[in-house]
Amino acid sequence: METALSDKKYFLRDIIGGYMYDLGEKNDRVLLVNADLMGTCRNRNFAEAFPERSYNVGIAEQNMVSFAAGLAHEGFIPYAFSMAPFLTMRACEQCRTDVAYANLNVRMMGTYAGLSGGISGATHWSIEDVAIMAALPNVTVVEISDPVQATQLMDQTLDYAGPMYIRSSVEPVFKLYGDDYKHTIGKASIPREGSDGAFICSGIVVKYAVEASRRLKEDTGKEIRVVDMHTIKPIDREAVISAAQTGRVVVAQDHNIYGGLGSIVAMTLAEEGCVTKFRNIGIDDKFVAMAHAPYLYHKFGYDADGLYGAMKSMLEEG
Amino acid sequence: MQKTVDELRRAAFEIRKNLLELCSKQVIHIGGDLSIADVMTVLWQYQMKYNPNDTKDEQRDRFVLSKGHASAVTSFCQAAIGCFTKDDVINEYATDEGRFSMHSCNLVNPYVEVSTGSLGHGFPVACGMAAALRRKGNFTSRVYVVMGDGEQSEGSVWEAAMNAVKYKLGNLVAMVDFNGLEADGKIDDVTALGDIAEKYRAFGFNVREFDGNDIAKIKENFDALPPADSDTPTVFICHTTKGRGVEFMENQPRWHAGKITEEQYAECVRALEKSLE
Repeated sequence: METALSDKKYFLRDIIGGYMYDLGEKNDRVLLVNADLMGTCRNRNFAEAFPERSYNVGIAEQNMVSFAAGLAHEGFIPYAFSMAPFLTMRACEQCRTDVAYANLNVRMMGTYAGLSGGISGATHWSIEDVAIMAALPNVTVVEISDPVQATQLMDQTLDYAGPMYIRSSVEPVFKLYGDDYKHTIGKASIPREGSDGAFICSGIVVKYAVEASRRLKEDTGKEIRVVDMHTIKPIDREAVISAAQTGRVVVAQDHNIYGGLGSIVAMTLAEEGCVTKFRNIGIDDKFVAMAHAPYLYHKFGYDADGLYGAMKSMLEEG
Repeated sequence: MQKTVDELRRAAFEIRKNLLELCSKQVIHIGGDLSIADVMTVLWQYQMKYNPNDTKDEQRDRFVLSKGHASAVTSFCQAAIGCFTKDDVINEYATDEGRFSMHSCNLVNPYVEVSTGSLGHGFPVACGMAAALRRKGNFTSRVYVVMGDGEQSEGSVWEAAMNAVKYKLGNLVAMVDFNGLEADGKIDDVTALGDIAEKYRAFGFNVREFDGNDIAKIKENFDALPPADSDTPTVFICHTTKGRGVEFMENQPRWHAGKITEEQYAECVRALEKSLE
């Protein structure tokens, strides 16, 4: 596919939150746990359809995660929703000790990924969560980029063994894939092929990478692959190796440059002995004042302009 | 199967003897093991519905050790009902990747329902289990959870307390080992815990407060539990003595964890035997 399929905007929290109803219909072991952010996480239709399968524990994220662990211990598949920073930092030890250590089928669902909290500021941003959750043994880390991908991967969470952390942005996304594209946990999706270079990214950044790739093709004739690494851990090593064979890899993430997708790709490249030009773009290890998310993406260089510029300079280096 | 008070007293003596034998070979959390030993003995040898040959039986009662450092007393209580032998515990304790250590770990020990160690985790997890039992239509099993008194400082305990009442978890029985000491000294010096029974009452719990080193009282309170399908969670505030049964350890913060000599062990057992008479 060449670019976003249409200009129609989608909001992942509407899709993911709304799709909980479908999961609930498909599997009666699906339970929902929330900590007073049912509205924010768009969990209300599940709660109305399955009131006896919904738990709202109040503003108590630690309790939410431990409680979900108890439910999973007894064979249920609880989906614990919150804003990503509260889920992964306020309740970090609960995620680690009660869920990861016990290797339970808890789905830790974080909205407000990256800087998408925008003008709510750093308290509501989640720029460390991938590093934190990827460091927890047993936990699979996923970031969703597209509405169809969202429902496909959500379906797969029903049968996936072990704990999962699924982050998603509240910024709008576009449809990047056709309905028949098959997304699989653990295998990168490729919304745009190319062999002159590769963007490796996830979540909200994928739409910018697709746009940058399209513009690079127009302006330079070069074909830049976009690798949508929706499963950040365990990473799709083949997709990383293949991207490196283009000779130019730009990783971009809505996350601190330390410990995010860039760090995991870099480790993989080194371990596999890949030789390639490489850049790691993300939040440059700093806190900044509140601003709208697109402004911040531009500031940190991972909107379409930033990605275009990074790849173009790599192409010009030869 | 149903033991009498005298038989349970004898059983608690055996548990303490085992703890001291282990303590003569390894550093264990002896103070808090001894304080909760009587409650644990009655729980495991009288109260709980648990078949060591079927650890996944849906109808079993669940046990969560929220004060995960009382792992030794838990292991000896489990040994007493045939999960393994008391010598398994003594020989394997603190060996590399062994089943028994300073805290409880279910990667290697299937009788550990939930791995614990860090405080303030077991209670909220137990609430989730209790809610799950209800959801599965199991209105006969209970979830028992043992907490420390110092542990009550963890905010997550009170988050869980609100939740247990909200979801009417009458199948949940929490026991607080109120021995008055924590790692840095007396509870009252470290924090302002105040009237803990009143606090749980205010949260909406069925609260029972009694001498947690008195076997008859413990048994009586288990007997008086509301049915598992009732709507109000229960908490036992068990007034205990840290280091109970060993004179030089009683009420001494430094015996939170430690090791004794062979001579001390022999002396302690003689004293325990005497008190049993």
